[in-house]
Amino acid sequence: MLAGALTILAKDLRLRLRDRSVVMFALVVPLGLSLLLAGILPETEDLTLTAGVVDEDGSPAAASFAEEVLPELQRQGLVDLVDLDGREAAREAMASGDLDAAWILPAGFGQAVTAGQGASLEVLVNPDRGLRAQVARAIADRYGAELDRISLAVTTAATAAGGLDEAGAQALAAEVAASEPALRLVDEPAQDRQLDLPSHVSAGMAAFFVFFTVQFGVLGLLEERQAGTLRRLLAAPLPVASIHVGKALSALVLGLVSMTVLALAAPVALGARWGPPGAVAALIVGIVLAALGLMALVGSFARTAEQAGNHQAIVAVVLGMVSGAFFPLPLDEGLLRVISWVSPHAWFLRGLQDASGAEAWTAALPSAAALVGFAVLTAVLASLRIRRSVGT
Amino acid sequence: MLSAHGLRKCFGDLVAVDDVSLTVARGETYGLLGPNGAGKTTTISMLCGLVTPDAGEVALEGERIHPRATAPKRRLGYVPQEIALYPDLTARENLRFFGRLQGLGRDRLRARIQQVLEVTGLTDRADDRVSQFSGGMQRRLNIGVGLLHEPELLILDEPTVGVDPQSRNAILASVDALAAEGLAVLYTTHYMEEAERLCDRIAIMESGRIVAEGSRRDLVGTIDEQGRIRLEVAGAADEVATAVAEVGGVQSAVVDQGAVVCLVDRAAVRLPAILMAVGDAGAQVTGVEVREPDLEDVFLHLTGRALRD
Ligand SMILES: Nc1ncnc2c1ncn2[C@@H]1O[C@H](COP(=O)(O)OP(=O)(O)OP(=O)(O)O)[C@@H](O)[C@H]1O
Ligand SMILES: [Mg+2]
Repeated sequence: MLAGALTILAKDLRLRLRDRSVVMFALVVPLGLSLLLAGILPETEDLTLTAGVVDEDGSPAAASFAEEVLPELQRQGLVDLVDLDGREAAREAMASGDLDAAWILPAGFGQAVTAGQGASLEVLVNPDRGLRAQVARAIADRYGAELDRISLAVTTAATAAGGLDEAGAQALAAEVAASEPALRLVDEPAQDRQLDLPSHVSAGMAAFFVFFTVQFGVLGLLEERQAGTLRRLLAAPLPVASIHVGKALSALVLGLVSMTVLALAAPVALGARWGPPGAVAALIVGIVLAALGLMALVGSFARTAEQAGNHQAIVAVVLGMVSGAFFPLPLDEGLLRVISWVSPHAWFLRGLQDASGAEAWTAALPSAAALVGFAVLTAVLASLRIRRSVGT
Repeated sequence: MLSAHGLRKCFGDLVAVDDVSLTVARGETYGLLGPNGAGKTTTISMLCGLVTPDAGEVALEGERIHPRATAPKRRLGYVPQEIALYPDLTARENLRFFGRLQGLGRDRLRARIQQVLEVTGLTDRADDRVSQFSGGMQRRLNIGVGLLHEPELLILDEPTVGVDPQSRNAILASVDALAAEGLAVLYTTHYMEEAERLCDRIAIMESGRIVAEGSRRDLVGTIDEQGRIRLEVAGAADEVATAVAEVGGVQSAVVDQGAVVCLVDRAAVRLPAILMAVGDAGAQVTGVEVREPDLEDVFLHLTGRALRD
């Protein structure tokens, strides 16, 4: 049986190499996309805002933002402060790309705070800097919340005292503000992510595209049926199983080769670090097997190679997207959390993370085992379906 | 050497093959003649063990053939109706792959590839990709692959479909030569002339059933006394056929390629009455041909339909 399977394997590999699309999917596209994505997604250090403040109010409350809050953020490395000469200057600096955001303390700001009314500061952002613009908004929101707390204290005090003069109110506001540590902003999700961005992106790309690479092996059976060559294979003196084994082997070889080449190329091309070789090897075997099982299962529902290819592509794209293969997603909440427990991509990345944070490469083994389990389950279901469709 | 009994295959409600039994003797050339959709390919699929029959069984030299049987398939060379080759492989690579699947050892494989390339006239093009071959060359290689392992029984499914007359002649000649060497051949076609020229025995198949079987002489003998009259008419051929069928001594009258073809008991006696009937039907006769019946007529007589499409 093995002889027949190996003959089919050798023929398939020869055909696949002649057909450049496999090389594209297996190597060129994932590497290219990794380079592109790693270039587009800024690293956390790069989230540093170039921003300034425009004080149109001049009250002590407004000054406290510019003189106490912002210097603290600058010290934390979140903001690179620039001097701004009014609203218009801020707009111009943004238009010329020199500025990411500006906070504006409008006239009447201090008044609103001391009167115990909700005071708000405006934020101008450069729409081209999506992530940094969000950071600027977050800072404004937090400061807004802080102001509400102070306003509440002032109002409460005023009610209790049956009236408060302006000087008294200002003194109280300053006291409340000082009783808490200055505004603190931390980039929380970034802290428990152990894979750096190039590693995550390149590993995610590799896992994403290996589903397409493996697909070529799985589609082989349907292609041979459509081309009529399957009739020749069935008429030859070899067990039906060796045809399936041959196809599975070619998918396996293509997947393993593609993943291995990417694992070796990613450090060179992107400076990525996937982790200890033992962990990477175990996870590669796991993800390739899982891809093989899933693609075979999806393919077993189709009647033509084209139909199968479409279904497989949809499954591979959706799974890849929702499980963070393109960019890190917060996989610890809601639906994403559920997906992260069933998605091979997520297990692959989780395994790399576990191993990169741990001393021993064996930290990746639970994830690798989950991948193999996924592979076995899908492969059994697929072979039950395929068995029914051959020889009838 | 090959025997099939009571083969039946359905696709949903459609009975594609219904109670087909046949035997092919050693060295015999057996023809399966039938129009499109008669069930020839489906029958062959069961004979080669590609699909499991719903009923009946197939044996080659006493060994049962079914999808999971491997040993008896070695004796069998199968040439599918469609070109079943890998277009991105060269002729030699295709032959090597299918030869390995047949379990040929290295030296024998190399020698056989050389021989098959010669027989099919493709030696010069052996290292070109099949996608660059003409239709006729692909057909020849398609047959060559079936011959590679020197089978005892060669099963050809309409090997001349879509081939120019010259290549067709070459294919027929090579099948003839193989049969002369003692190879048993099962030859499927919907061309009467091919069956007449090649086959020792012929089965006529229609709508999944074998409606007649025997040598050409036997088959034509079943309509022995009869003659065949072909009338070219100017006018509604359908109406003429209906009118002519009413004439005494006319067994059947059908329209074939615009002409009316009738089988009659004695052509010379019946011709005047038939010509009268054509005139009465309001048509004019533009040509008359009277001749000995052939397999075409046998089919026409048995099924009321023309063999050609
Ligand atoms: N896989 C299939 N599924 C459904 N119907 C089928 C299938 N294969 C064949 N048929 C039907 O069975 C009947 C016999 O088909 P078959 O291919 O055996 O005819 P054939 O004699 O080889 O015709 P042709 O000369 O056109 O090749 C046809 O009506 C065909 O539509
Ligand atoms: Mg057919």
